[in-house]
Amino acid sequence: MAVETETDTGFGEVSRLRGVVFEYVSLGASVVGLIALAALLIYVFVDAFGLATASPEWLLTYFLTLVVPYVGFCLYSVGDRAFTRKVALALGGGLVVTAVGFTAIETLVGTIPRLTWQLAYLFLVATPTVASATFVASQERVGTVGFGLLGRLVGGAALGCAVAILFIVIDRPLWFLVYTFAVLPAAGVAAYGRRMGYEWATVTAVVVGLLGLLVATLTRPILGVYPADGLIYLWTLGVPLAAGAAGVVWLREESRKTVAAVGGSTLLAAAAGMLLGSSALPAGSGVIVVGATVAATAVYLADVVDADTGREGLLLPVVLAVGALAGAAVVQTVGITTPEMWLTPAYVTSAPSNTAANAGLYPAIVGSIIIIAIVAVLSFVLGVGAAVFLEEYAADTGLVGRLTRLIQINIANLAAVPSVVYGLLGLGLFANLLGFGFGTAVTIALTLSLLILPITVISAQEAVRSVPDELRQGSYAMGATRWQTIKNVVLPEAMPGMLTGTILALGRAIGETAPLIMVGAATTVFSAPDSILSRFSAMPMQIYAWANYPQAEFRYGVVAAGVVTLLIVLLAMNGTAIIIRNRMERDH
Amino acid sequence: MSQNDLTESDSESLITTDVQTNTTAQTASAATTVVETDHLSVYYGDDQALDDVSMAIPEHQVTALIGPSGCGKSTFLRCLNRMNDLIDIARVEGTVTLRGTDIYDDAVDPVALRRKIGMVFQKPNPFPKSIYDNVAYGLRVQDKEVTDERIEDALRGAALWDEVEDQLDQSGLELSGGQQQRLCIARAIAPDPEILLMDEPTSALDPVAASKIEDLIDELVEDYTVVIVTHNMQQAARISDQTAVFLTGGNLVEYDKTDKIFENPDSQRVEDYITGKFG
Repeated sequence: MAVETETDTGFGEVSRLRGVVFEYVSLGASVVGLIALAALLIYVFVDAFGLATASPEWLLTYFLTLVVPYVGFCLYSVGDRAFTRKVALALGGGLVVTAVGFTAIETLVGTIPRLTWQLAYLFLVATPTVASATFVASQERVGTVGFGLLGRLVGGAALGCAVAILFIVIDRPLWFLVYTFAVLPAAGVAAYGRRMGYEWATVTAVVVGLLGLLVATLTRPILGVYPADGLIYLWTLGVPLAAGAAGVVWLREESRKTVAAVGGSTLLAAAAGMLLGSSALPAGSGVIVVGATVAATAVYLADVVDADTGREGLLLPVVLAVGALAGAAVVQTVGITTPEMWLTPAYVTSAPSNTAANAGLYPAIVGSIIIIAIVAVLSFVLGVGAAVFLEEYAADTGLVGRLTRLIQINIANLAAVPSVVYGLLGLGLFANLLGFGFGTAVTIALTLSLLILPITVISAQEAVRSVPDELRQGSYAMGATRWQTIKNVVLPEAMPGMLTGTILALGRAIGETAPLIMVGAATTVFSAPDSILSRFSAMPMQIYAWANYPQAEFRYGVVAAGVVTLLIVLLAMNGTAIIIRNRMERDH
Repeated sequence: MSQNDLTESDSESLITTDVQTNTTAQTASAATTVVETDHLSVYYGDDQALDDVSMAIPEHQVTALIGPSGCGKSTFLRCLNRMNDLIDIARVEGTVTLRGTDIYDDAVDPVALRRKIGMVFQKPNPFPKSIYDNVAYGLRVQDKEVTDERIEDALRGAALWDEVEDQLDQSGLELSGGQQQRLCIARAIAPDPEILLMDEPTSALDPVAASKIEDLIDELVEDYTVVIVTHNMQQAARISDQTAVFLTGGNLVEYDKTDKIFENPDSQRVEDYITGKFG
C-alpha cells in the first residue's frame, strides 16, 4: 500500500495518498444518502405546512416570537459568553451567506422551485443552529429541567392519546367489568401477598384474575346499565394513574404532602378531563389524555421543586406558549397573510374528504396505531420466544441440531421474501381460511407480524447470543435451572438488544403498503374503526390513495401532510421504545 | 460445624479409603474423603480430555490441580459439579462419588448437585446486577431465605464486606477485577456449599489482588473443601495441602502431599515440570 521514497532526512516518507482518497470517498458515500433524504424532507415539510406560500412577514413574526426566545432560553441555560457569540454569529452570518448564495444561484443557474431564501435560511441555518443550541443547553441543569418538562408534557399527551385510541376498539362496558372483577382484585392479591411474603402470591393472583375474567364475561350480557364512558375511564384509568404517580413519588421518599399533591392533582385533572369535549376521540377520552399529561408532569415537578437548582428551566413551556400566542396576536392585528397549512389540528382529527381543504387522516391514524400496537405485542412475543428456543433450548447436535440449522437457514431466507408475498399469505390464511375478514385489524396485524417476524427473530437471536457465556456458566454453577438462568440472566441482559431489533422491524411494518393492499385493507375509511374486526385503513394506504388523486392540492399538500404525520407517529413510537430501552439498560 | 461433619462421616470415609487402595492414586491424607473419582475419563467428541483419573479429595483441605495448558485439569474440575453436562459433545466414563454417592447416577439431578458445590471461574463473572443481588442470586434460585445477615456473612467470608458495605446496591460490574473475583467467591459461598471449586481464580488478577485471594483461600478452607486449578506453581506450593499434577493427554501423573510433590516427586516428568525444564 504505502510507497516509500527517499528524502533528505534519511527516514524516507510514506505515501498516504490512497488512504486519504479512500477516506474522502467513504465520507462522500455516507453523505450522499443523507443529503438526498434531507432535501426530500425539506420539500415535504414545505408542502405540509404550505411554507411556499408563506409571506416573509409571517416568517419574521414567528422567528422573532418563537425562535429568538427559545434560543435565548438555550443561551441563558448555557450561560457562556463565547457560546452566545458563536450562536449569534451563526444566525447572523448565516443570514447573509444564505441570502447572497441563494440569490446568486437563482440568477446564475435558475430558479429553485417552491423555496425562497428565507426558507433556505430556516432549514439550512436556523434549524441546525437551534438543534445544536438545544443539544448544548440540554447538558446544563436549567436546560435539562426545561426540556425534561417539555418532554413530559408532550410525551404524556402523546401517550394518553395513544391509549385513548387503543380504547376505541375495546368494548368499554366489558373493560369496566374486567377491570373491576379481574385486574383490580388480582393486582391487590399480588401486592398484598408479596408484601406478606407469601410464596404463592403470584399464582393466587393469576387464579383470582382468571376467575374475575370469567365473572366479567358472564355478567356482560346480563347487565344492561353501565356508567358513562367518562366515568369508566376515570375509574379504570384515572384512579390507577393517580395512584401510580403518587406511588412513584412515594418510592423516592419524598414528603407525604408531595405524594398527596401529585396523586390529588392527577386525579383532579383526570376528572376535569371528562368535561373536555373532543370531536375525534370517544367521549371521556379526555380523562386519559389530560390525566397522563398531568401525571407525567406532576411526578417530574415534585422532583424538580425538591431540588434547589435549575427551577427557572420550568419556564420553557411558558416561553414557547407565550411566544406562539404573541405571534398569532401580531399576525391577527397587523393583518399578515397566513400560509395555507395542510397539517393542522383539523387534519389529524377529521375524516377523509373529496375536497383537499376538508381532507383528514384521523381514521387512518387510528387504524395505524391499533395495528402497530397488535403487531408490536405479537412480533415481540413470538420473536423473543423463537429466539430463546433456538439459542438456549435447541440442541446443536444430532437430529434436533440438523433441524434447528434448517429452521435457521429458512428464517434468514424468510426475511428476504417480498412483502407482496406475505400479503398473499395473509389473504389466503387469515382472511379466507381462518375467516378474520378482509382488511380487518386482526388480518392486517397478523400479516404484518409474520412479515417482520424473521427480522425480530434474527435480531433477538443476535441479542441472546451476545450474552457472555461466562454469565450463563456462573448461573448454572450456582445451581440455577435452565429456566432460572434464562429468566434471571439471559433475558434481562438481552432485552435492550431485542427491543432494538423489534423497534427497527416495527418501523418497517408501519410503513408497509403492499401487503395491506393484498389483504384488502380499505384505501379510505370515513369513520374510525370501533372494533378490531371492522374495516381498517392505515396511514400509508391513505397516503397512497391520495397520491393518485388528480387535484394538485392532494398530491402536494395533503400527501405531504400525511407523510409528515406518519413520520411523527413513527418517531414518537421509536422514541418511546428507545426511552424504555435506555432506562432498562441503566437500571441493569 | 467442621467437627460435627468429621465425626458423622468418619465411618463412611474409612470404607471409601479402603476401596481406594487398589487404584493407581494414593490417598494423600488421612482426612475424610469428600469426593472421589474412579477411573474417570472424559471425551469431547473423539478427543480424550481426561484419561483414567482416580483420586480422592480430602475434606477441609486445599487440593491444587496443576499442569500445562490443555492437560485436562479444568475438565476434571468441571466433572465434579457436572458442568460438563452443559457441553453437548462431552462424554464421561468412570465414576465420581460425593460422600459415597455416584453423582453421575441417573437418579442424581445435576442442578441439585451444583447447589452443594460452589464454583469460581477464571475470569470474574459477576452478574450485571447490584452487589447485593449478586450475593443473593444463589439463595434466590435455590429458594433459600435472603436475609441481610446472610449477605453480610458471605461478603465478610469473601473479605469484601469492609470495601462494599456502603454500596450494596451498586452494580457488581463497577468493582475492580480483584473485588469482582471476591464478589464471585461471596456469591459462591452464600448458599453455604460443601465444596468450593476454583478454576484459576487469580490468573486474571494483578499480584496484590491475587495474594488477597490466596489469603482468603487459607481462611475458606476452615469451612469448605477447596479444589483449585492453577497455572502458578508457586501458588500451589503456597496454599495447597495436596497437589495433583496433570501432564499432557489428561493423565494424572502424581498426586500427593504438596510438600512431597515440590520437594521430592516420584516421577521424573513431574520433577522436570516443577523445576521448569518443561511446560
